Amino acid sequence: MNGYTDKILVVDLTYKNVRTISTQKYSDRFQGGRGIAVALAYDFIPGDVNPLKPENPLIFMTGPLTGTLAPSSGRIDVITKSPETGLLGGANAGGFFGPELKYAGYDGIVIVGEAASPVYIDIFNDDVIIKDAQNLWGKGVFNTVETLRKSDEDVQVACIGPAGERLVNLSGIAFSMRNYAARGGLGAVMGSKKLKAIAVRGTKGLDIAKADGLIGLVAGIQDRIKMMPSYPEYPEWHYKLFEILESDSKSFFGNYEDRVWEDRFEAYENAKRFVKQAEFRRETCFACPLRCWAYINVKGIGGSSIAACQGTLTSLANFSKVKDFGKLWKAYLLCQDLGLDVSGTSAVVAFAMDLYPRGMLDDLWKQEPKLIYGNGDALIDLIKKIALREGLGNILAHGVRKASLAIGKGAAERAVYSKGGLELWLMEIRPFKGTALSSAVTDSGSQNRATYGLCEFYYKSMRKQAEMVAKKLVGTEEAAIPTKYEHKPKLVAIYENLHILADSLGVCSIPFMPVGLELWGQVFAAVTGIETTPKALMLAAERIRTLERLFNIREGLTRKDDTIAERMFNEPLKDGAWKGEVLNREKFEQMKDAYYALRGWDAEGKPKQETLEKLGLA
Amino acid sequence: MQKMIFIDYDKCIGCKTCETVCSLSHQGRVNPSQARISVVRYERIGINVPMMCQKCQDPVCMAVCPMKAITFDPALGTQIDNSRCIGCKICILSCPIGGVSLDPVNKKTIMCDLCEGDPQCARLCPEKAIEYVEVSLLPYKKRRDGIERLEKFLREERK
Repeated sequence: MNGYTDKILVVDLTYKNVRTISTQKYSDRFQGGRGIAVALAYDFIPGDVNPLKPENPLIFMTGPLTGTLAPSSGRIDVITKSPETGLLGGANAGGFFGPELKYAGYDGIVIVGEAASPVYIDIFNDDVIIKDAQNLWGKGVFNTVETLRKSDEDVQVACIGPAGERLVNLSGIAFSMRNYAARGGLGAVMGSKKLKAIAVRGTKGLDIAKADGLIGLVAGIQDRIKMMPSYPEYPEWHYKLFEILESDSKSFFGNYEDRVWEDRFEAYENAKRFVKQAEFRRETCFACPLRCWAYINVKGIGGSSIAACQGTLTSLANFSKVKDFGKLWKAYLLCQDLGLDVSGTSAVVAFAMDLYPRGMLDDLWKQEPKLIYGNGDALIDLIKKIALREGLGNILAHGVRKASLAIGKGAAERAVYSKGGLELWLMEIRPFKGTALSSAVTDSGSQNRATYGLCEFYYKSMRKQAEMVAKKLVGTEEAAIPTKYEHKPKLVAIYENLHILADSLGVCSIPFMPVGLELWGQVFAAVTGIETTPKALMLAAERIRTLERLFNIREGLTRKDDTIAERMFNEPLKDGAWKGEVLNREKFEQMKDAYYALRGWDAEGKPKQETLEKLGLA
Repeated sequence: MQKMIFIDYDKCIGCKTCETVCSLSHQGRVNPSQARISVVRYERIGINVPMMCQKCQDPVCMAVCPMKAITFDPALGTQIDNSRCIGCKICILSCPIGGVSLDPVNKKTIMCDLCEGDPQCARLCPEKAIEYVEVSLLPYKKRRDGIERLEKFLREERK
């Protein structure tokens, strides 16, 4: 089978046995990656399981393009039932683990059961061994990876840190020392299975249908990626992103109360100085020309790789309003090593810093440092406490919504979250109606899987570009205007489909969109030998999306769960470029109606029988 | 005129495109462990070093090969004849720069053959960290890179 290894590893940790199933059973209808992972989740999860019990499988799945010469093809999708939201939990990660897994001969891994004591899975080609991991339990991510690599730097590791071991809902799964399947508490599911790590090394390789055809396509795709307007700037985004978010009027500060922060320009300057003075080397993921990663090392604090995205330094700074980048860097290193989702963790810290001065945490946080915005020591302290579940950290570890309910005293009214209670990523949401809709209807509440790249994002800074994309996708420039409700449902559905295809084929969603479906279809054909068209790919995306919906409906999801935090409807923005903007509930519900109709779902958001038949899901 | 692969370690971003295309163009399938170029990644310190045969003028591998499987081509440097190789690995042991590797599938030695003068790694390296240049131009190129760095440094200083 070209492009696929045709083997999915099933590891039962309870009975300590290993078997494989064929990928082919799923690949025709669900492509790979996210698509097959959802299908496996639907098959393996009996419905209504406790996410932290042995019945809940943890599924890692690569796509047919993963590990091939296709640019940006380092991706792997991770799916399970999320302990944070109780819905489908999914995250997609780059790096080098996915390719290595395929070279070892496996398209994916399904972990079921629960080990009696800590274990790790050691994979070298056909040898798959469940090994004792008591000596690794309690170790940070960096140390765990180093230990498992021993003398072979090509060993790739997926592991959890202490946060995952302690079942923190903000814990992710680290892929070696940098990339994360961060969102939705996937690390906690791995921790509940007492699975510390998976180490993989593969030397078997992968069959490709048309080697010359694939090589011939790659230079052209690289060129397209390099033509992205943001391409030349990526390596500078580690400090420039602050200003980019500002120029798009997307930033907010603290717990969504301010669009303006007086000290922000000082913070941006600090960011620039911080990056310029550090030891800095550009990095990237497997086969990716984008180099949105960098290795940064700061004397006296430490070194690590970091992605230039909204979810890292920018997230920590803008949420906590800390402008000391030494402290922020330390906070980032802690999250990476303890195994925390930087995005969700910084949102939760901001939530606590919002409540504390209001006296809502008086009985939970009596010590120094004071939990107030700008206090870097408090940020660092709280991150440790969340990972280790100490004191207030033990409550915040559940994620923002559950924590707000546990705290009481009106804390729930201050909590801001996406569908299912998952923290939103770093972006003001009230003026961006498409983003709001996407966050509410998405499979997992994770904007990373549905919303990234929406053309309304860059309307303020690159209006022409945004309008051109909107016109191409939905037929009118108006769809690019953030505050317009009209045309957003279609735009959102198309972006969701594109995300699904990127995550399913095994390519990063950032370069996926500018390269275009036509070319990816050709790459898919060169790799697998199976001809396809953009239309066929979009139909597959529809199928996968509807199966995700069926999964969530089985978990009890109804129309009213397709929403985001109340504050986004009740609290108009009090300053900045979008002053007065708030979500209009009636128009929001109308967007949902239109979105459901586009998907072939009924007014309750349930897929219609005819839709299921059309998609072959009946 | 002899040409060689010139690697600028500062430019490498560790994407492994070179390994991937090397195996794909030689084997017709993707298997980086069968590639003739290997990016050694030291993740903890953020260093990526592409390693390969440097086409020595006095190749140790050629001198030690008991089967005379390694020959010297004036244009393409050392070349290995796989049908003669017995997999004794003496060339790997004796190469002072780690430029010779072992094909884990066939258990024979592999080494860069410069793709008959059109090295695919250089063609697809997205950062142009790998280039195929005239050997005689190498010192000039290094000098030019040095001047560029100096110029950049001086410009930063004046700011």
